[in-house]
Amino acid sequence: MNAANLSLQLLTGLQIGAIYVMIALGLTLIFGTLGVANFAHGALFMIGAYLGYVVAEATNHWVAFIAVPPAVFLVGIVIERTLVRFFYNRPASDQILVTFGLALVLQELMRWIFGGTNLPYGTPPWATVPVDIGIGYYPPWRLVIVGVTAAAVLGLFLLLRYTRFGLVVRAGMRDPEMLGFLGIDVPKRFTLVFGLGALFAGIAGVIGGPITGVTPDIGMAVLVPSFLVVVIGGMGSLAGAVISGLILGEAVSLSVLIYPPSTQIIVYLIAAVVLLWRPRGLLGVKGVME
Amino acid sequence: MTSNKSRFPKPLSRRAVVRATALAGTAFGACLAAGRGPLGFVRDAWAEKAYPALGNYPIKGSTVKFGFTVPLTGAYTDEGNDEIKAYKLAVKHINEGGGILSTLKPLNLKGQGILGKKVDFVSGDNQTKPDAARENARRMIERDGIIMYSGCSSSAVAVALQYLAQEKGVIYMVGLSHSNDTTGKDRRRYGFREFFDAYMSGVALGPILAKEYGKDRRAFHLTADYTWGHTQYQSMKDATEKQGWKTVKNIMTPLGTKDFSQYLTAVLNSDADVVVLNHYGADMVNSLTQAVRFGMRDKQVNGKHMQIVVPLYSRLMAKGAGAKNIEGILGTVNWNEKLTDAGSKIFVKAFQDVYKEPPSQAAQTAYLQTILYANAVERAGTFYPPEVIKALEGFEYEGFGPGKSTYRASDHQVFKDIYVVRGKAPSKMANQFDLLEIVEQIPRKEVEYDSKLLGGDLGPYIPNKT
Amino acid sequence: MITPFGARSRYREFWIMSGVAAVLAALPWLLTLIGGYTELATPILLWGMFALGFDILLGFTGLLSFGHAAFWGLGGYASGMILLRVSNDLLLAVAAGTVVGGAASALLGYLTLRRRGIYFSILTLAFAEMFYYAALAPLQDWTGGDNGLTGIPAAQLFGIAMKGWPIYAVIAAATFAGIYVARRIARSPYGLILRAIKANETRVASTGIHTRHYKFAAFVISGLYAGLAGALSAAYQTYVPTDALHWTTSGQLVMMAVIGGTGTLFGPMLGAGIVLYLQNVLSATIPQWLLVQGLIFMAFVVFLPGGVVEAGRRLARALSRGRKRQPPVPDAASVKGVGSVHAD
Repeated sequence: MNAANLSLQLLTGLQIGAIYVMIALGLTLIFGTLGVANFAHGALFMIGAYLGYVVAEATNHWVAFIAVPPAVFLVGIVIERTLVRFFYNRPASDQILVTFGLALVLQELMRWIFGGTNLPYGTPPWATVPVDIGIGYYPPWRLVIVGVTAAAVLGLFLLLRYTRFGLVVRAGMRDPEMLGFLGIDVPKRFTLVFGLGALFAGIAGVIGGPITGVTPDIGMAVLVPSFLVVVIGGMGSLAGAVISGLILGEAVSLSVLIYPPSTQIIVYLIAAVVLLWRPRGLLGVKGVME
Repeated sequence: MTSNKSRFPKPLSRRAVVRATALAGTAFGACLAAGRGPLGFVRDAWAEKAYPALGNYPIKGSTVKFGFTVPLTGAYTDEGNDEIKAYKLAVKHINEGGGILSTLKPLNLKGQGILGKKVDFVSGDNQTKPDAARENARRMIERDGIIMYSGCSSSAVAVALQYLAQEKGVIYMVGLSHSNDTTGKDRRRYGFREFFDAYMSGVALGPILAKEYGKDRRAFHLTADYTWGHTQYQSMKDATEKQGWKTVKNIMTPLGTKDFSQYLTAVLNSDADVVVLNHYGADMVNSLTQAVRFGMRDKQVNGKHMQIVVPLYSRLMAKGAGAKNIEGILGTVNWNEKLTDAGSKIFVKAFQDVYKEPPSQAAQTAYLQTILYANAVERAGTFYPPEVIKALEGFEYEGFGPGKSTYRASDHQVFKDIYVVRGKAPSKMANQFDLLEIVEQIPRKEVEYDSKLLGGDLGPYIPNKT
Repeated sequence: MITPFGARSRYREFWIMSGVAAVLAALPWLLTLIGGYTELATPILLWGMFALGFDILLGFTGLLSFGHAAFWGLGGYASGMILLRVSNDLLLAVAAGTVVGGAASALLGYLTLRRRGIYFSILTLAFAEMFYYAALAPLQDWTGGDNGLTGIPAAQLFGIAMKGWPIYAVIAAATFAGIYVARRIARSPYGLILRAIKANETRVASTGIHTRHYKFAAFVISGLYAGLAGALSAAYQTYVPTDALHWTTSGQLVMMAVIGGTGTLFGPMLGAGIVLYLQNVLSATIPQWLLVQGLIFMAFVVFLPGGVVEAGRRLARALSRGRKRQPPVPDAASVKGVGSVHAD
């Protein structure tokens, strides 16, 4: 195995990790700020994929990329306003249960509307021809995924660091009660944060749909590893989510070279090991969700 | 006699009478089944000999129910949809005549139901999962009183359903299952398979692959990780190695994998110049499309053009993958809608008239299995499962597909000619369904094998009463 | 409904258990009256037992585990493998399954109970998924991989073949025993401590009680129940699917518990019956039955966290409106929810 081949495998790992990162970002944002474990996050990803397919088929991929994430953002807002916010004071298990139920309902709703078969969400014509990236040929769309994810992470970082809204969000992750005392409209902020998380899931759905396929169960399929990414990285830590997402992606990709039957288990193994050694996750913030 | 029926206990008197005539009835029925006398239009229950109760036999009333369990969700949804369409068509033809009833020989069916009873059916979604399939089948057996069930697109489902059939004493006509195990090590007396198996595919493809791509090739296999994938890989490995190829590596991919990128990069990292995709259904659609996107069709390794092989093909999968991607790729099928024999033409027309698109091989095997079962019952003169089984064992027929086909008694597998096909170039397609062209028809005797080769034991005619 | 043992009339327990026995005996026939079929009673009891043990963990101790399918599935595999390779004896197979389920839950409990709340739930999910994928790929020579464990011969108990009615009788007897034991546990001081832990763990810990040990014991008890139910299920079905270990199985268990009503022991069993009924009867008529099931589940979580049992109680209270209203009982938890304690 030479360097070029290994780097090809590493690149694949990067791309696999990218999807995890996108979803984990939304999850940890909602987790850290609202304290809600959003089991419906995978369903938001799935909705993004379905809407992406519909819009892309009707128009083209650019329109889909621009129109769908805001649509999912709105869906997130609606979910928060009508359902989730009544559960902030309910026990944690209730929050899990209601979002889990919501995920099932959304999944079956999509199955009812679109059927259970895989919808052929293709990539744009220019993306079907593999490009030579020096170390070999690679599907361009997967490079797009990596690029979009990087841009999204950067955008989120800038948002949180340099805007007022971001400041409020970061403060809210530490101590929402205090925020209220300071006169900030906490409910409105919460709604926006939930919507933001949904936005990320929507973006992931639009660009990831062609890779994962478009069926009702992709939501749940992507949710469990993403939750692990969040937990490994540390609840409420965005940098942690990014790092652990990449680590897990690489682990999945490289395990194929070492011992293929372990590809599926490796994610859980790493989660188990990390959580037993560092229960708070790699970069977990003390006091969050303890 | 142990029976798994859980109905309200009947009045003792009738039961005693039935049991008393059991012996006489069995003897009489055996005579009827063996004899060639015209069974005539038997309408009354008395004409059907009083065999002992077994499974859901005897049937009360003037309708008989079939159960169809097909995948309507999961990796093999497309085949499942096609299967249920074919089942409905078969029931219609059994009840009203038409379809291959006009070409199948020898035919006992009259186009007026079976033994005077009209056929009705119930169906369920088995989600491409063995346990959901078993639950479906159990419910249909216990609640709906079906006398036969059929359907599946996954060999794991087929195997699970066969074991259930053997246990419950209800015949199972396998749907689409390609694994060697279904009529190999997992063969059961109550299960019957018409669809060809992986061994036949391997033996058929081997020489043709060597002819097209040369004898000095290195193959990398990606295999669906369940019974079918395993046997398909084994058969392909044996067949290609016999031609001189080397097998570089095999990686098992979980059934239902969506993203094959890490496996495909591993292929690119090796020195293989052929990639064999032992995948079916949605798996194949994804792995093939992604393989093409990774540039495998244009790659050159060791001075040779890289090739992709898909041992088990279907038109539905080809449609899902797209004509551009399957162009030139070789594989095998059980049947093709372009066959010119009378039976195939009639079936294709009947299917197309109702559903506006031609049937796939999943539809073909579903349809044929139902008709064969019904015909066997009519031949046996009874619904009593052991007699129907005996009527199917060794049954030789023709009139649907090429030449003569036989249901071999030693393993309940049909042997007939099969086809090697190749994906058509988009420019050569006559219409949107014209995706595969037949390269060669492989005669039956070339793919036949000794039933001991795959092992397995059929089991008893009467389900075990441990 | 769950009163401390000995607090009320001794005969009350006798009457309750007699009622249980009557229902268990009559269940197959009752089912046919509502569009079901007699054989549906067996899966209902098996899942009922599974849910019963789970309620001790969720309803009483307040721990939401999404990984219990692991113990059910492992119990099933152990039992199946014994029947397949070692002996036909049902007792041996069931004992093996129960022990394996308990052992697995001890292991998992030790690992996951270090964390609380959502962390705990996700950890249980993660570890259970590991078992699933292990059974699917690396260990497939033992488990049959995607095929599941097929060809399990019918079990024997004292020479009687375990099929049809005999095995239903055995399962009903096991369920009866399970209910009795569960009620004894729930109504003992031990059960009281569990409920206190659910209400406010810190407060309980401050009295000097090692809450971790109690939680661990509750976890293992629920694992034993799961292993027992899974083992019997393998013998009944003569088949063990790999999906028995999948998280969707755990999810279904959670749904049953919530719909029925957590913290009441009978609630989750009732929930098991309702969900299985929906699955088997509804699924044949409405193609979107999963959607209906999901909506029902959500409705319960949002509006009726106490489940069907709670609905029944409210109905009973509404019907006896003639009596003077009781003053509201102060609750340890802030708001009444699935995760809160039911005052009795």
